[in-house]
Formats: sequence, C-alpha cells, structure tokens
Amino acid sequence: MAEFKLDCMHEVCPIPLLKAAKKLKVMEFGDVLIMKTDHNCSIANVIEWVDKQGHAMDYVEVDQGEWEIYIEKLK
Amino acid sequence: MKINKSWPYWLGMVLLAVINIALLAFIGSPWQITSVFLYWGIFVLNSLGFESLGESYTIYYGNGLSFEDAEIIYYLTILNIGIIAGSLLSALLSSEFKVKKIKNKKQLVLGIFGGVLMGFGARIALGCTIGGYFSAIPSFSLHGWVFAIFMFLGVLIGCKILYKDLI
Repeated sequence: MAEFKLDCMHEVCPIPLLKAAKKLKVMEFGDVLIMKTDHNCSIANVIEWVDKQGHAMDYVEVDQGEWEIYIEKLK
Repeated sequence: MKINKSWPYWLGMVLLAVINIALLAFIGSPWQITSVFLYWGIFVLNSLGFESLGESYTIYYGNGLSFEDAEIIYYLTILNIGIIAGSLLSALLSSEFKVKKIKNKKQLVLGIFGGVLMGFGARIALGCTIGGYFSAIPSFSLHGWVFAIFMFLGVLIGCKILYKDLI
C-alpha cells in the first residue's frame, strides 16, 4: 500500500481533477492519494467525481480555503 | 467552512433567459461581451495617436456595431463592469473570495498565451461564447449552431492536449 502526493495548489479548475484522474490510473488498489488544493470549485468536483468512481475518500480543510483530500483507490 | 452547493442548472437557465430578454428589450441588443473590447482597444489606440485604425476594423470586426451605436457600447461597457462587480459580490457573499497565487512560470505563460488566443479568436469569430453562441441560438440564428459544433470540437481537442501534454 503506497502513498502518493499531488500538489494542486494555485491551480484552477479542472486541472486538479484531471491530475487526480491521471494519477489514480497508474496507482494500485489500496494505494492512497493525498492531494492539496486551494480551489473551491475543485474540492467540490473532485469529491463528486471520486464518489461516482467508487473510491473511498475524505477531506479536511487544513487552512482557510485550502483543502487536503485523501483518496483510497478501490476500483 | 462547508462546501457551498451551486445553484441548480434550471435556475441559472431561467435567470439567464429572463435577464437576457430584459436586456434586449432595454438596450436593443442581446448580451455580448467581447464586441465592446474592440471599441476600448480602438479608443486606447486613437488616444495614443493611431488615428487610421478605427474605421476598417469596426466595419469588419465590430459585429454590427459602429461608433454611432455609442449608447449600446456604453451599456455593454457598464454590463461588463457589472459582471466583474457581480462576481465579486457573489464570491464575497458565499465567503469564497481568495487572492490566488501564480504557481510557476509555466502557468503564467500558458495563462497569457491562452488569454490572447481567446481574445483574438473571439474577435475573428465575431463573438465569444456569449455573443456568438448564447445570444445567437435564442435569436434563431444559424451561426449559433455552427458555433456550437466547433466549440464542442475545440473543447474536445483542448481537453486532450491539456490531459496528455500539459499536466
């Protein structure tokens, strides 16, 4: 079970979502992706997309307007 | 902070339609954004002494507007300022306002390059997605549908390039 990091700070929609999709493709089942974003539209569409894809996911607001999203690849 | 849910599509659709109808009734032109940029540009160039740049540009690229339509140009300018002010207000009201930093040089260069292409493209196409598409289709104009097909193709190609090469 490996851990991957993705720095999406200061990047605008839809780049964080595309980066996450690209990264998840090369990850193994059970691997965890930690991504950081400060784009409020990205936090909304990334968690919606991850939910639809059927992965496990949680997120926390680490600073005002900055989030860390934890995604576990399940499918 | 909780994550704000956006308005449903149907509400946005109804509001946009009603406001665009009101705008057409009030100023005699449907919503357009970039046509007026041309007049700002010409105004700046003329102020700097490039007199000859006015006429020939507006005849072809003015999208039916000329300097005689000063009233419409005036309203469209107010409208553009209103879009910025309204977006700011909406961001502040939902506490989503944030000054974003530039990540790196690549982002800066891509941003400037993309902005120039968008502005140039909007003018040679005689309209951006608002003037050439959003306002064209309810006017029963064929060019809105042509715009839609090529916009779709452009987005498709743009997404492929973005996904494969730029991120």
